Amino acid sequence: MRERIPSFLLQLPTSDTFRLEGKSLKIPFLEKGLNHLGSLIRTAYSQWEWSSQEGLFQKTDARIKVLFLILFLVIVSLKKEVGSELFIGAALLFLMVLSRLPLLQLYKKIFFLSLIFGFLVALPSALNLFNDGEILFPLLQLPRAYPFWIYTVPERIGLTGDGLQGVALLTLRVINSLSVTFLVVYTTPFPEIIRALKVFRVPDSLLITLFLSYKYLFIFAKTVEEIHLAKKSRLLREIPPRGARRWVAGRIAFLVKRTQRKSEEVFNAMLSRGFSNSVKMYEPGRLELRDWITGGSLLLMGSFLLWI
Amino acid sequence: MTNSPEKIIRLEQINYLYHETITALSDITFDIYRGERFAIIGANGTGKTTLLQIMNGLVFPSSGKLFFKGNEVMRESLKDKGFLRFFRGRVGYVFQDSDVQLFCPTVLDELLYGPLQLEISKEEALERAFEILKMLNLEHLKERPTYMLSGGEKKRVAIGSVLTMNPEVLLLDEPTNGLDPKTQCFLVELMIALNEAGKTLVIATHDLSLVDELQTTVGVLSEEHRMEKIGSTVDILNDEELLLRVNLVHEHVHRHGDFAHRHIHSHYLFHRHES
Repeated sequence: MRERIPSFLLQLPTSDTFRLEGKSLKIPFLEKGLNHLGSLIRTAYSQWEWSSQEGLFQKTDARIKVLFLILFLVIVSLKKEVGSELFIGAALLFLMVLSRLPLLQLYKKIFFLSLIFGFLVALPSALNLFNDGEILFPLLQLPRAYPFWIYTVPERIGLTGDGLQGVALLTLRVINSLSVTFLVVYTTPFPEIIRALKVFRVPDSLLITLFLSYKYLFIFAKTVEEIHLAKKSRLLREIPPRGARRWVAGRIAFLVKRTQRKSEEVFNAMLSRGFSNSVKMYEPGRLELRDWITGGSLLLMGSFLLWI
Repeated sequence: MTNSPEKIIRLEQINYLYHETITALSDITFDIYRGERFAIIGANGTGKTTLLQIMNGLVFPSSGKLFFKGNEVMRESLKDKGFLRFFRGRVGYVFQDSDVQLFCPTVLDELLYGPLQLEISKEEALERAFEILKMLNLEHLKERPTYMLSGGEKKRVAIGSVLTMNPEVLLLDEPTNGLDPKTQCFLVELMIALNEAGKTLVIATHDLSLVDELQTTVGVLSEEHRMEKIGSTVDILNDEELLLRVNLVHEHVHRHGDFAHRHIHSHYLFHRHES
């Protein structure tokens, strides 16, 4: 073997110094996106950690939590007053505190998503372009009103009081819907949530498919993270966008092939353990007294919030 | 920052939390010298791969410092193009899973990728690639897509793809894992030859026979993710109590015909029948 070593491998670097260039390497957008997929795993680890804490919701049966989730989502969308939504928000905050969830971390996510999918989406509807109303914040003064098809662009454009109230209501609904969802998701391991769906007579075959999809999503994310590191270990200079796109396309093709192979292996593993087109999952145990009490209390809370 | 000239890599009080929650490495400090063969051994999940990834500047420790030839390697320093080229050109990493490492269309493209990144001329890059193909017996596979190779061939291409960059330090993660005995033997010979050619080798493995064959300096990671002991191969492999404690050997019962007995399970150095 020794005599087969090429001569260039025997050459040592001529210098142990380097010149700082003061310029940073630009990572293409596509590649950054691939790397961010890896953060999916981090989120799952956090979720798992929080769901193992000793809090009110962590100790409650997943079936009660799934019913609570649906009940509260309905209540949040039925309420039509800003005050009621604020009250529901306070109640959910109280439940989060009892469940020992990291409030700052969760509310950062909730407010960010609500800002995009609640506030910013609804904000244009507060303009008097769509609904009449008293203008509280004038934004633009035109020389005259402009009729356009079945609309009229008014002379004075601004945010109306009624419109802002509508935006506030919609944003609060989004905040509360996210809060109730996060409260359940971050206090319950995902497999338990899936199993709890049996309460709604979801077929076992669908549940096992959801289980498998969830599991392989993580294997997929882990592979993507490793691919990114492998590229990083040999990255010495900027790759032109075209090259980056080709690389990403190649890696996607590799992942598709690998996923296909994995699905065949999983199917064979299922066959070898007696799978014959019907799946049977074990039934969750009976609810304990503690679950009934928590469920009853949550139902009472929900009825009160519906009534106010 | 200047360190002793023969030290090529220095790790100082490295701690790493996996996904910011689970401890993967705890207070790791050691040095690797130029031209050394160094094996990091430990049971599954002790942090061997993470340690190699830190040494390659792929992930960064939660606390602690990594130095390469006296220069601190950190997120900020690797953002500089000059230092990045200096570091990546000198430290090569062979991943455990060759599939994730090989991302070019064909074997030849794979071998050319590194030298072209180093801005070596196309002629010289091709010359290097063909020399490596010859050394690794891969000449007949040069036009083949990497997904159509066997496990052993993929491993050889993965090593070749790093060697064409002529790194001074080779980090190898479980290099012989899952390979047939012939390929394993080939790789051991290759690693010894590369080391004799002046390359510094750092290997992460739980295969004690590989450590025995390579006669490396050995660092033992415990299941508490600490560096339990550093010593020569003989020192470490003769320390039965240590290897039992870190779960690299175990006691088991087996039969020779009608006779059953208990001993420490290890295929070399000690296979001492006690009863």
